[in-house]
Amino acid sequence: MTLDPPWQPPAWELDPSQPLYEQIAHRIRVEIAASRLPGGTRLPSVRDLAASLRVTPNTVMRAYAELEQDGLLETFRGQGTFVARSSGVEARAQARIARQALEHVRRVAADLGMRVEDLLRLGAEAGGGEDDDAGSHRV
Amino acid sequence: MQAAIECDGVGFTFARRPILRDVTVRIPVGEMVGLLGPNGAGKTTLLRILAGVLAPEAGRIRVLGEPPGWRTLRHTALLPERGHLPGWLTIGEWIIHARRLYPDWSEERERRLVDDLALRLDRPIARLSRGEGVRVGLLTCLAREAPVVLLDEPFTGIDLLSRETIASAIVRECGDGSRTVIVATHDVREFEPLFDRVLFLKDGSIAADETAEAIRARGQSVASRYREVFSP
Repeated sequence: MTLDPPWQPPAWELDPSQPLYEQIAHRIRVEIAASRLPGGTRLPSVRDLAASLRVTPNTVMRAYAELEQDGLLETFRGQGTFVARSSGVEARAQARIARQALEHVRRVAADLGMRVEDLLRLGAEAGGGEDDDAGSHRV
Repeated sequence: MQAAIECDGVGFTFARRPILRDVTVRIPVGEMVGLLGPNGAGKTTLLRILAGVLAPEAGRIRVLGEPPGWRTLRHTALLPERGHLPGWLTIGEWIIHARRLYPDWSEERERRLVDDLALRLDRPIARLSRGEGVRVGLLTCLAREAPVVLLDEPFTGIDLLSRETIASAIVRECGDGSRTVIVATHDVREFEPLFDRVLFLKDGSIAADETAEAIRARGQSVASRYREVFSP
């Protein structure tokens, strides 16, 4: 049996002051949430992804393990790691990212001593929001 | 888990100057370890002692359960900072020689490394740049099945693209979870993602021994931790 060549992630820039396995897990989660990695897509082996990102294999293993625990990936012995084929994979990835985004906004609001709604309104009034979003997608 | 390397109170003196003082560390099998510190901190001496080419004056060392010496040479591969490869050979001739020299040589690893490291087999060793020389030395280390790999400053004096090629090859050849790798370097910034654990060697002593993810979990990079440990 021949398998399709695995998905090749772009050359991600990782932030060395944050846990690397979390960043790798997050990037893959975003790809799944945005429907760019459909169920059944084969991911690179731990060793190949580690070599291309120049991180330790333990880091990639931990990222894959976290995504498996979330039900986003599944590993079959001798075949490799795949995006889970179960329904709702995208929705689960989106929910997790949305929760993290909300937690972040809550933290910023708490730092400023503001309510979340007020922070969002202030951001929109200050010219953030749709225009900025469009700009960042164009890059 | 079994320790690949255990040092207990290791000391070494040269010309009455202490080079290593009371070095005590335990490295589990399968970890990629950065041995970090400025020039003169004792990194090369520690690697040479672990490789069994230099005897410690004090303390106890075990490499995969055995004291280093000629018996452990078979499971230790050392890339010295300045290699002495035979200059009168071409890279290809050296590889043929090395196949016979090392009983644990793997021709499969060798083929992959020639490719990954972009080595030109017809080049005479005497005319290699520093970067090419390191790549040949690295092939000689990593084409063996040795379970303990010790690399002394593999990134120094090499251009960025070669450094990235070298880093990828190290991960590819050492990433099966059974090989233990120690990389001595002062090039911290670029290669910190290569390490599971970092040992900070300061004036011959271990000033800190931490996992890289524990440092990052505090919102700190290994490079900024390095500055913290070594700034006067």
